[in-house]
Amino acid sequence: MNMGKKELLLPEKFTIENIPSLFNELKEVKEDVNIEIDFKNVEQFDSSAIAFLNHLKGNNKNVSFKNVTSEFNGIFKIFSPSENIEQGLQIITTKKRFEHIANKFLKLRSNFKKYILLLSDEIYYTIQYIFDRKGVYPGEIFNQIYHIGCSSTSILCLISFLVGITISITTLDQLNNFGADIYIADIVGFGMVRELIPIMTGIILAGKIGASITAEISSMKVLEEIDALKTMGLVPEKFLMVPRLIAITVAVPLLVAIADVVGIFGGVIVAKLFSGIQASAFLKEMFITVDLKDFFIGMGKTMIFGWVVVITAGYKGFSVEKGAVEVGIATTKSVVLSISLIIVLDCLFALLLY
Amino acid sequence: MKEIIRTEKLFVGYGENIVLRELDFIVNKGEITVILGKSGCGKSTILKTIIGLIPPISGEIYFYEKRMDYLSENSVNDLYKRIGVLFQNNALLNSLNLYDNVSIPIKMHYPELPKEVEKEMVFSMLSQVGLLQSFNKFPSQLSGGMRKRAALARSMILDPDIIFCDEPTTGLDPITADGLDELMLNLKNVFGITLIVVTHELRSIEKISDKVIVLKNETVHFSGKYDKLFTFNDSFINKFFLKE
Repeated sequence: MNMGKKELLLPEKFTIENIPSLFNELKEVKEDVNIEIDFKNVEQFDSSAIAFLNHLKGNNKNVSFKNVTSEFNGIFKIFSPSENIEQGLQIITTKKRFEHIANKFLKLRSNFKKYILLLSDEIYYTIQYIFDRKGVYPGEIFNQIYHIGCSSTSILCLISFLVGITISITTLDQLNNFGADIYIADIVGFGMVRELIPIMTGIILAGKIGASITAEISSMKVLEEIDALKTMGLVPEKFLMVPRLIAITVAVPLLVAIADVVGIFGGVIVAKLFSGIQASAFLKEMFITVDLKDFFIGMGKTMIFGWVVVITAGYKGFSVEKGAVEVGIATTKSVVLSISLIIVLDCLFALLLY
Repeated sequence: MKEIIRTEKLFVGYGENIVLRELDFIVNKGEITVILGKSGCGKSTILKTIIGLIPPISGEIYFYEKRMDYLSENSVNDLYKRIGVLFQNNALLNSLNLYDNVSIPIKMHYPELPKEVEKEMVFSMLSQVGLLQSFNKFPSQLSGGMRKRAALARSMILDPDIIFCDEPTTGLDPITADGLDELMLNLKNVFGITLIVVTHELRSIEKISDKVIVLKNETVHFSGKYDKLFTFNDSFINKFFLKE
């Protein structure tokens, strides 16, 4: 049974500017009220007007029109969706929570498999390249050594020096209470060579080199350059990754050696300035605790971190499908994953080597 | 016929590099004007200059008898509500799905419009271009033709007076391209929308154009009705249309 009738006289301009006020006017009208819409004054209308009427008809079955022109009727038919919107909306299915978790787990497993496959492929391609110099652009390895090595040296030196100073200052204060100032050399030397320099170098490589590798490869993927390489009979995973892996293998020992020296130098300066310990005494004490084995362990760890950074960066770069947005997301994910893996591996090394 | 756009002694280009010089032409309401010319002759540049994306080197552009460079920022924004642009590479935002891409102009220009009406408008427009079922897909999940139609839906959503289309059918198969041409003709015939189309596609030119502007040697070589194009008996035009 109808509760009443509402008449709505449309304005001259039945356009998007007037829709909000008309919408608000009819908002309070109950569903079973007859709404009569009068087109008498309408001289101009647009698609939002038709959308508004479609919405009204969808919500209230008792809508009727008065004084409608044939022009409006024709356009109304064209603009009313021919397909069923509700049917279209049903495409979105709400996934159940457990299904969602299971899907996440399956995706994680599949990603891990892809990562391991890329890692094994790269090991194979690198060994293959050492014996048969094909499939890599000539001179690219030297370019990459320059890019990875030179571009990271200054920032690594600065950070190593500052960390050396910070560790020395904070530790010296405690040692001073026990009159054991000289042991600052052992702490700085051992800490820097075995732990801090490897992890810092790894993080710097992840942020600087890893990000640039992912951004470069993913952009190439989006711009179909990877497909172009394939059509030229090249293996993109070899063409792009092997030079970077070889370059990081060459550059890392040099970077670590420089960073060790600079970091310890920071410690020497603090020891001299705050405790009057001579450089010769510092180094003599340091070499009692730190030997060549520690230096090689630190270097070996950094080398592994470097490989992890390059493989992770390549993995994330190649996993991009389409679109500029994915490039940014892949780059961020690459850095986060590299740093996480470096810290996990460092923890494992600590358990295994001490 | 009412004039919508007029250029007078317009020089367009980048910095000091002049691409086109002394351009004088008129675009009338409710017509499809096709701009054509060889690759690199400045077709897209002139489109971008008219829209205001590239500043003209010199000369005048009039929209509805008002000089573009004399308009205040608010007037230019109002003008942008009345035009739609279909870019060569579609320029859909990859981070948004189709619904959100098409609703951007509504959300930006009419934030007070009820969501229910916005939804009806967007679905209606997606239905017009045959993409209703794909409303929740992202541009990367669509084919080239679907992306073009989605971009056209976005350019049409505010019922613009004029739509600028930069190579709308390039790279599409003839059937999809023909569908897009039909859509443009419908826009003109049903809604009286004016279209300015840059294209190379001979089939499209023949099908949709009311008026043709041919660019050659950095200037307008021919401007007039499509029917008059061949009475001119010009070697460049004949070669362009493969009639020589």
